[in-house]
Amino acid sequence: MGYRIGVDIGGTFTDFCVFDETSSALHTLKVLSRPDAPGAEVLQGLDEIEGRFGIAPSDVSYFTHGSTVGVNSIIQGTGARLCLFVTEGFRDVLELARLKIPDPYDLFSRRPPPLVPRDRVIPLRERMNADGKAEIVPQEPAIAAALARAEAAGAEGVVLAFLHSYANPAHERLVKEILNRLRPGLPVFCSAEVWPIVREYERTITACIHGSVQPRVSHYIGRLEEALHQRGVVPPPMITKSNGGVMTAAAGKERSIEMLLSGTAAGVIGAGFVAQRSGFDRLMSLDIGGTSADVALLRDGMPDFRSGELVGRYPIYLPTVSVSSIGAGGGSIASVDSLGVLRVGPESAGSMPGPACYGRGGQRATITDAFAVTGVLGAAELGYGAVSVDRARALAAIEPLAGGLARSPAATAEAVIDLAVANMYRETSRLFSQVGEEPSGYALLAFGGAGPMLGCLLAEAMGMETVIVPETPGVLAALGGLLADLRSDFVRVVFQDVEAASMPALAQALSDLIAEARAWLQDGQGHRGEAAVTISGDMRYRGQSYEIETPLEEAWITLGDDKAIAAAFHARHAEIYDHADEQAAVQIVALRVVIAGLTPKPNFPERAADPVETTPQRRLRVSHRGREIDAGLFERRDLKPGSRFAGPAVVIQDDTTTWAPPGFTGEVDGYGNLILRRGTA
Amino acid sequence: MTTLDPVTLQILKSHFEAAAESMAYTLLRTAHSAFVKETEDFTSGLTTPCGQTFASPKDLGATWFIGLDYKGAIEAIPGYAPGDICITNDPYSGYVCTHAPDMHLWMPIFEGETLVCFAVGHIHNTDMGGAVPASLSRALTEVQQEGIRIPPTKLVERGVMNQDVLRIMLRNVRMPDQNWGDLKAQIASLKTGERKIREAIARFGVETVCAATYGVLDLADRQARRLFASMQDGDYTFTDYIDEDSPGGVPCRLKLTVRVSGDEAVFDFSGSDPQLQSALNMPTGGLPRHILPLVGYNYVVYSLDPTVALNTGLLRPVRCILPEGSVVNPVYPAATGMRSLTCARIQGMVVGAFSLALPDRLPAGPAGGGGILNVRTTDSRTGRLAMASINPITGGGGGCGREDGQDGSNSFLKNTPIEITESEVPIRVLSYELVPDSGGAGRYRGGLAAQMTFQMFSPNSVVTARNRDRVRFSCWGLEGGQPGATCGFLRNPGTEREENLGNTDVVRCSPGDVLRISAAGAGGWGDPFSRPVAEVMDDVAQGKVSEIGALAYGVVVRNGLLDKAATEASRADSQQRETGIVFDPARLAFERVWSNAAWDALSEKLFALPIEWRFFMKHEIFAGVNADTAAEGDPVAAIERAYRRLLELYPQIVPRRLGEAA
Repeated sequence: MGYRIGVDIGGTFTDFCVFDETSSALHTLKVLSRPDAPGAEVLQGLDEIEGRFGIAPSDVSYFTHGSTVGVNSIIQGTGARLCLFVTEGFRDVLELARLKIPDPYDLFSRRPPPLVPRDRVIPLRERMNADGKAEIVPQEPAIAAALARAEAAGAEGVVLAFLHSYANPAHERLVKEILNRLRPGLPVFCSAEVWPIVREYERTITACIHGSVQPRVSHYIGRLEEALHQRGVVPPPMITKSNGGVMTAAAGKERSIEMLLSGTAAGVIGAGFVAQRSGFDRLMSLDIGGTSADVALLRDGMPDFRSGELVGRYPIYLPTVSVSSIGAGGGSIASVDSLGVLRVGPESAGSMPGPACYGRGGQRATITDAFAVTGVLGAAELGYGAVSVDRARALAAIEPLAGGLARSPAATAEAVIDLAVANMYRETSRLFSQVGEEPSGYALLAFGGAGPMLGCLLAEAMGMETVIVPETPGVLAALGGLLADLRSDFVRVVFQDVEAASMPALAQALSDLIAEARAWLQDGQGHRGEAAVTISGDMRYRGQSYEIETPLEEAWITLGDDKAIAAAFHARHAEIYDHADEQAAVQIVALRVVIAGLTPKPNFPERAADPVETTPQRRLRVSHRGREIDAGLFERRDLKPGSRFAGPAVVIQDDTTTWAPPGFTGEVDGYGNLILRRGTA
Repeated sequence: MTTLDPVTLQILKSHFEAAAESMAYTLLRTAHSAFVKETEDFTSGLTTPCGQTFASPKDLGATWFIGLDYKGAIEAIPGYAPGDICITNDPYSGYVCTHAPDMHLWMPIFEGETLVCFAVGHIHNTDMGGAVPASLSRALTEVQQEGIRIPPTKLVERGVMNQDVLRIMLRNVRMPDQNWGDLKAQIASLKTGERKIREAIARFGVETVCAATYGVLDLADRQARRLFASMQDGDYTFTDYIDEDSPGGVPCRLKLTVRVSGDEAVFDFSGSDPQLQSALNMPTGGLPRHILPLVGYNYVVYSLDPTVALNTGLLRPVRCILPEGSVVNPVYPAATGMRSLTCARIQGMVVGAFSLALPDRLPAGPAGGGGILNVRTTDSRTGRLAMASINPITGGGGGCGREDGQDGSNSFLKNTPIEITESEVPIRVLSYELVPDSGGAGRYRGGLAAQMTFQMFSPNSVVTARNRDRVRFSCWGLEGGQPGATCGFLRNPGTEREENLGNTDVVRCSPGDVLRISAAGAGGWGDPFSRPVAEVMDDVAQGKVSEIGALAYGVVVRNGLLDKAATEASRADSQQRETGIVFDPARLAFERVWSNAAWDALSEKLFALPIEWRFFMKHEIFAGVNADTAAEGDPVAAIERAYRRLLELYPQIVPRRLGEAA
């Protein structure tokens, strides 16, 4: 028995979640992040955990870690200086990308500049055909010449991305071997090794992002390992992944690209766990921080996975927990233009200078300031005592807007909040339409510093009945990391018609993939416990140019049941698009395998709920719908399982403030979650 | 009517946009055809009871129909009841539909007795029947050749589908299952819109919702007027050409004068050519605020002020003059299938006209003209016929007063990965790259064109390249910036069998044929000699500008190295630098005869003729003038001579006198 620690480094704060395996107690902590010295905040946190909770590093039995060091190096353009070798004739694979400009109405809209500029993209005479047959084999003199160009350009690494390497990676491998021989120590990345998908731009950009971040991430993980070891933490750290899983530090150093979006992914995993435990199967998670609001839809605790998620302005095509950014955060700035039009965002005061009411130099009104003016905020300090709310400063920031709108400051603050909610309503509506679901069947789980402040308002707009505020809404990503399984994705492009003749090739590909996956789990991760293998196919009707991921069963493929595979696709197509064409020819473009090694989960026992109406600590005056109303003020730590109250109410705790407007009732369940229900007063 | 406070209006605007976007996602999700799912050639939206579009999705679907007015179609139906859904794809019934493949639907949304709004939308059907597969060809001359047309009709009446209409329509198209599938998706999209509007009504009340539908239109109106008020009053005239007015034809001239006065403007298209005996006509019915000639206007307003509400209200300060029987207002039965080429050209011209007033704030000429490539060939391994959309061939955006143009593309079009194309169709792509030096030189360089080279392997392969243009005349540079390069289309380049395919849009290929196709480049902005040498050297290092191309910037490069002394000498050369708009040499040479004055004279003569004579006489006069050796000295006189001869030859023509009504 010992302590399991999850750490998530965010832009402003680094969150810690400590689970006591003996008592099942959960401790949380936040310290300021140190972008100037990544990793220092982890050690500082360990010190504080020891000081505050008396937990020594040597007591730590499991340690997971998520970091933004990779994302930051892409956003800040501080990744490795790369050269990209491409098939002759295709030098502009990054420049042309998929052509579409981000905002077609805007004559000034631009695609992001290519991650590797054209002068460092070096064409090499070679050609592989779509069927995997070599047309032109690359020759050593040409490779040596390309290397010379790369070195003259100051390359710190080389990415190889040749046409059709997903079908046959031989040319990429051959060139890598020769480069390794000519320049030992020069990092070389093959696109088919990073992520062997069909579609040259998607595979190339993914490989380039990996090559760009890998040296820095690998260095960072190495230093962290060493520091933890010196501090006396025995188990090697596990690294959280964008697919919602974890991997060993050694894997993280090799497969750095897999950790880039792990922070948001771990938050969603944490949200799914919390909600499912409390009996909510359909969930919208809403994570609102200082600059953005991130939402994800989950069914049965599982999020959707998507490829093409953005790292900065560049997409990566590894399977990633699907999270949509819907604009507004607590720091989003409100403004009124010369025609009297009120706007909220997209500009944000971020964490520096932050909202005006934080008194750190911010002058412009933000959503947080609006809540300070209405009276929801200000009853207590925020962020573990790091910030106190100065209502006078919030008022001063809101007043110029009030002038522009010819409203009172309180009415203006409400307008800012209402408009922010309307904008979120718009973005959230899109998400539900995309998947063809109705929001009314979903519960909303609000977390992050500002999520619980806005959650009930958004739920009202969306027609959702229930809002869940977890016990530790500020550290859900750190908790998600603690809960994550070892998890990895594998893909093989097969490009086959679904018919009897294709079955042997499919069976071979699947058996290779499963072997690869098991080797990863057992040899790579040293996992000896339970493993779950999930198989799916990227499938389509012949002639369609996009694929649908269709869950498949191993037996269909090994036994050659092409009918069952086609039927699964028709059913999945109908499920997503409401129609299927059972006469049409079906293709399987790629096979996918996901392997998950189940890690031991913390056991949170359900506590006995003792239904009791709770008396507020005191009453606050809050502006709501044009009136001043009395709202009960509660401290979260006073609310025990079974505690109940009726809105309007404000619940304060170290890491967030919850606003339950009139019409909502609150009750704490056996897991410490605050469940707010609409219209049941 | 209730007047809303601005905050409530903004909140409802978000709800309306949510409705329009949810409609779009429903359509995108449930549609069957590639045109909807991949090309996103569809719209969805909400209009007031009289047809003014007040909400559209911004980043989904076609970008051309923001502000489309449904009035003509709505009024063609005598009355509406809950549960009705109407359709039309007739370009000559109300001027909502603009070519036969576009099927428009509209559905009334009632609250009690009150007609709150219409949910509307269109999709581009892959085929509506007619003379050619896909119903589109530049060579078609009458709308009847372009497929079956449904006039405004109740497809669903009080919830009951009119099976007769459906059966007749589906019997006349080549891929009925796809059309039917897409139609169902359109209906689902309209119903999603209705559901979201009901949500808004339940939350805010019907009066507030109704008031807000007009309020957001008024808001856009005020936003647009704010732009005009900031502009100098005056006339801004811009002309441009389509290379060929019909297959192998003569140029088609388009002329636009934007007259800005106070917070309003008139867009006068007088002087544009008579309607064409080809499918390039733009059916507008002469409606003063038809969206087709105003697409570029929407782009300009939005680019200058991204906070504007994209809806019909933006069009209120504007009025178009679209002469009857012209390419911008053809009369029945002119073909309209390929109006997109004309529409795209006019978009560029609108930006061009505004850039005369605001040269610092708008980009130089956009590229374009590359065309959209499709291939049909046989897979020799399977014997199966393979068809695929290969790629749009695209060019860059114009340079502007703060940065270079986007290289390689400037629109919503997406390409098809080479790896997908080669997996599906037995062709080999030999290269797909930017074309060095194709962007116009300038302080800020124009965007480069893309070029693709590919080889065919089977006999009887057919490559189609829709919307090709800009082979002869390229786009313009601004403030002394240079025009972009023209398009190219070669068969077997660099061999003895090399053939220039020009603007050909259907090419039959033999095994082994290599095709090389490129788009035009975009125009540069500002004096190229003022581009910092370091930026030119960076372009040279990147291979975007060649050493020879660098000379256009007054920069001398030898073996990759800057020749400082020669560069200084070149840049110090006192020869006259160009200013203002710079047109390409081919256009300037053409205009030595076909000057503005000559075109105006021609136009005046043609528009005095009966409509059916105009296109014919234009071609005859062109032939006469081109054969007239004295034309360059006095083109107007040459036109007069040719015209007189023709009147003698065809005494049955009776021209109207000036000032006489049409």
